[in-house]
Amino acid sequence: MQVTVNGQTHDIDADPQMPLLWALREVLNLTGTKYGCGIAQCGACTVHVDGMAVRSCQLRLGDLNGEVTTIEGLGQPQALHAVQAAWIDHQVAQCGYCQSGQVMSAAALLMLNASPTDQDIDRAMSGNLCRCATYPRIRAAVHDAARRLAGS
Amino acid sequence: MRWAALLLALAAPAGAEVMPSVVAPPEPGSVSITDGLAAWARVYEVVSHPRCANCHTGSDHRPMWSGPEYDNAGPHGMNIIAGESRMGIETLPCATCHVTASTLDSAPHAAPNAMIDWRLAPVEMEWFGLTSAQVCAQMSDPERNGDRDWIELARHLQEDAAHGGFVAWGFQPGGDRQPAPHGLQSHIDDVLKWGAAGQPCPE
Repeated sequence: MQVTVNGQTHDIDADPQMPLLWALREVLNLTGTKYGCGIAQCGACTVHVDGMAVRSCQLRLGDLNGEVTTIEGLGQPQALHAVQAAWIDHQVAQCGYCQSGQVMSAAALLMLNASPTDQDIDRAMSGNLCRCATYPRIRAAVHDAARRLAGS
Repeated sequence: MRWAALLLALAAPAGAEVMPSVVAPPEPGSVSITDGLAAWARVYEVVSHPRCANCHTGSDHRPMWSGPEYDNAGPHGMNIIAGESRMGIETLPCATCHVTASTLDSAPHAAPNAMIDWRLAPVEMEWFGLTSAQVCAQMSDPERNGDRDWIELARHLQEDAAHGGFVAWGFQPGGDRQPAPHGLQSHIDDVLKWGAAGQPCPE
């Protein structure tokens, strides 16, 4: 079947029941998206499908209907997405394992809501767990990214 | 390869109904009030079941986690608020985790999925925690039931279940979740009996 990830279309030979996360990591070798729980309880596997945040561990390949963006396609080292730039400036990451999911959820939120309140951020991001409890820095970085996007 | 395609077509013919049912309304007035109230009592057992009521919540837009799978009833974890859109569009879409799928089945403990975009029912169709009399009054009121008479209510159940919506999911939730009781056809028949009896409501 054909899947489009980060602007590139791939023909892949995989079971339609395979979760998108497995296809990204094991077939396309895009390992920036992480496996956490496998049941949509942690948010580590978050990607975008046509711009909307989706837990890729839940979406079967056969049900994929749109273009996928992963952390590898959100920005580039020389042209970071505003969320990635804010993440670096605020030194959000500690161990880092959950952070690609956090960044993808934050970027999706800012597409829906350009200037989220603290409450909006808490509602949008509470499905992304961080065992290092970087939550205060996440919230600050989302506000910062919103300002960057508003100014760009 | 042609055989494989044929087998696939037989297994899932185009336009096949996910959960088929029949709407056969009795003559209005042909069902006694007593039998109509008994039918309503079974309807209420369905709509107050957690599979249905957990997403028929009020103006706080919070889905619930309740039922035999939970030690205690409470709001959906993860600070989930579906917003005025009732689909989470303001902050986090329901469909981020409850993906729109080609099956009703999902793994135990995973976010369940249906074959339409996950959402809360409209706020005027609040059921969670309400009494049988309150839900009966809501279901009888076109202002709060989607402008439907009793036959249209039954047809709504039939149509939603046919394409794998939340009515189908409630009766076949997958993942070892307890389904709503009685089954789709009995539920439709009970709605019709209640309607033919004049939509009587308990005190």
